[in-house]
Amino acid sequence: MTEINDLISKIVNNVQEEQANSSSSTNTATASPQSAPTSGKTMTQADYPFFQKHPDLVNAPTGKNVKDVTLEAAINGDVKPEDLRISPATLKAQGQIAASAGRSSIQSNFDRAAELTKIPDERVLEMYGSLRPYRSSKQELIDMAEELETKYGAKICGAFVREAADEYEKRKKLKGDN
Amino acid sequence: MKRQKRFEELEKRPVHEDGFVDEWPEEGFVAMDGPYDPKPSVKIENGEIVELDGKKKEDFDLIDSFIAKHAINLDTTEKVLAMDSQKIANMLCDPNVTRDKIIPITTGFTPAKAAEVISQLNFVEMMMATQKMRPRKTPATQGHVTNIRDNPVLIAADAADAALRGFPEQETTTAVARYAPLNAISIMVGAQTGRPGVLTQCSVEEAEELSLGMRGFTAYAETISVYGTEQVFTDGDDTPWSKGFLASCYASRGLKMRFTSGSGSEVMMGYAEKKSMLYLEARCIFITKGCGVQGLQNGAVSCIGIPGAVPSGIREVLGENLLCMAMDIECASGNDQAFSHSDIRRTERLLGQFLAGTDYISSGYSSVPNYDNTFAGSNMDATDYDDYYAMQRDLKVNGGLVPVKEADIIKARNKAAKALQAVFKSLDLPEITDEEIEAATYAFSSKDMPERNMVEDMKAAQDLMDRGVTGVDVIKGLYAGGFTDVAQAVLNLLQQRIAGDFLQTSAIFDKDWNVISAVNNTNDYNGPGTGYHIDDKLWERITDVPMAINPADV
Repeated sequence: MTEINDLISKIVNNVQEEQANSSSSTNTATASPQSAPTSGKTMTQADYPFFQKHPDLVNAPTGKNVKDVTLEAAINGDVKPEDLRISPATLKAQGQIAASAGRSSIQSNFDRAAELTKIPDERVLEMYGSLRPYRSSKQELIDMAEELETKYGAKICGAFVREAADEYEKRKKLKGDN
Repeated sequence: MKRQKRFEELEKRPVHEDGFVDEWPEEGFVAMDGPYDPKPSVKIENGEIVELDGKKKEDFDLIDSFIAKHAINLDTTEKVLAMDSQKIANMLCDPNVTRDKIIPITTGFTPAKAAEVISQLNFVEMMMATQKMRPRKTPATQGHVTNIRDNPVLIAADAADAALRGFPEQETTTAVARYAPLNAISIMVGAQTGRPGVLTQCSVEEAEELSLGMRGFTAYAETISVYGTEQVFTDGDDTPWSKGFLASCYASRGLKMRFTSGSGSEVMMGYAEKKSMLYLEARCIFITKGCGVQGLQNGAVSCIGIPGAVPSGIREVLGENLLCMAMDIECASGNDQAFSHSDIRRTERLLGQFLAGTDYISSGYSSVPNYDNTFAGSNMDATDYDDYYAMQRDLKVNGGLVPVKEADIIKARNKAAKALQAVFKSLDLPEITDEEIEAATYAFSSKDMPERNMVEDMKAAQDLMDRGVTGVDVIKGLYAGGFTDVAQAVLNLLQQRIAGDFLQTSAIFDKDWNVISAVNNTNDYNGPGTGYHIDDKLWERITDVPMAINPADV
């Protein structure tokens, strides 16, 4: 260790003699900000982050704006768990942003998700369970698709479940097939 | 035979405790280029794929059907399949071809085409390609925070510790399943105390994991497993459709999620259908794409022993990470399971992802000693921090971690334990004593912690779920205990679910809640001098390792 210490002392002395001045170059890894668009239009990558660019549009399904979700409000009991949820409109916007960044499959997922926001937690968990292998008969899956379509207006999810019902029948993943 | 003494010495080396097997394609023990792998093909009739990788539509299993319907770009796939695989491989590792030129090609792949292209690359070419194809320009890594006694005070202190060291995502799980809500709250409170903006998760059974997220105890999930053969998928108690639905459930609650897959799982579960690990993993990556899921944890993950045992297996592991990123999916790239008895080999395991940089180099790095890692131990653990820091410093690589000052860690651990004490008190959970706080502040492992009454804790955890406690109640508890800044951080975390910015590909937050994702931090690597660079401020921190001699002190 003493050898290293000696070496470093020498280098330090040299450096001080030379009085080297350091130049600094900084790299930042952020995208340049874009101008904020108006609401109602199709969102793009330029509208991201949505929270920063469009705080006025970030509303929970209850209608509460994110700016009203303050610590004070939370302590006073003015923030309900429902006020901390994403709205279908925001999911649509995020889907458009994903598509504009070249990721249309993410948009499809968010479109399904936008429909599912309306379904209570417990029911949505049950629906997931029903889609697991050997849980449901074909009719039960079709009934579930109908529930999605008529009760919740979830057309995309309904079609997704119908597609699963057909595939499960073909590949023997329905109730009683195991 | 009379033993040669050098051979006898070599047999005592740790590498001899590892498992190695010769290729056995019939049972799936082949990394890539398997003799039974299908040749790439695609046929489209009336806007529908009727042949995929040599299989006719009527012979499709669930996975083929799902991929054909949801995961392949019909407009481009025929053209892409007509391209020479070696030429595409060349584009992948050529710095002059930017990422945005590659994505339109990879999204037209079929699984067999994808595997064929990746198989053209040697290890260094895969690293070149990974550096460019990582979706988020800035690399990062993920940490495990667990202990074998599910001690909540220690989880909170360890989460704060890990947050200070730079993990933007932290994952816990349970030793005893019933502890889940307590572990989820403890890691969240600890992480937000250490550094606001850290995302936390608690890995448990699929439906329960979602339920924890819905309550506001977790911010994301990743242990949503998908598999490469239908039989194993079904044995895993899911189908591509149930997993796709689950993915949408997460997004519908404003929660980030990624899938998990990894080579070796099909071999482990006994139904590899004679296919190579890379081909089966390609199918998993396509399922992820088809579900519209932003990310995937892959790279053999908990089955690393299988690819690790066959020839070219660790190359295959980097290859599957690369394929994930080349298909424009966030990659949490394994390095998360104890893999080798040899320190040399576990460094080898890490190097590809570490040097090239992935969205999360480890998924995750054990921020606690492996003794306390309830994911069965990781490739690197808390006792490897200083080696890891030295590697970052030696090679000027951002591996996602930064050296820390002992005094800062003590302060953060203590504050996190106290913050959790306040939350437990306010939620009427079993008391956290001052003795426990002191122990957690200075602990090496759970051996340093006083015993807790685990039966009481588990009862309280169940009661907390029955009472319908949510994240808002955690905020109230923090505030009542005087931890206004931590209360604000948890609130900010919950606010992010309303906005959904962190549902985009590869999203993490900095300490000021600025989202950093593939959307606003796009990887623009185009050769030397482009893409990601360590800035001066970070470099200063990386170089400041505890063991370095400060010339000014000499």
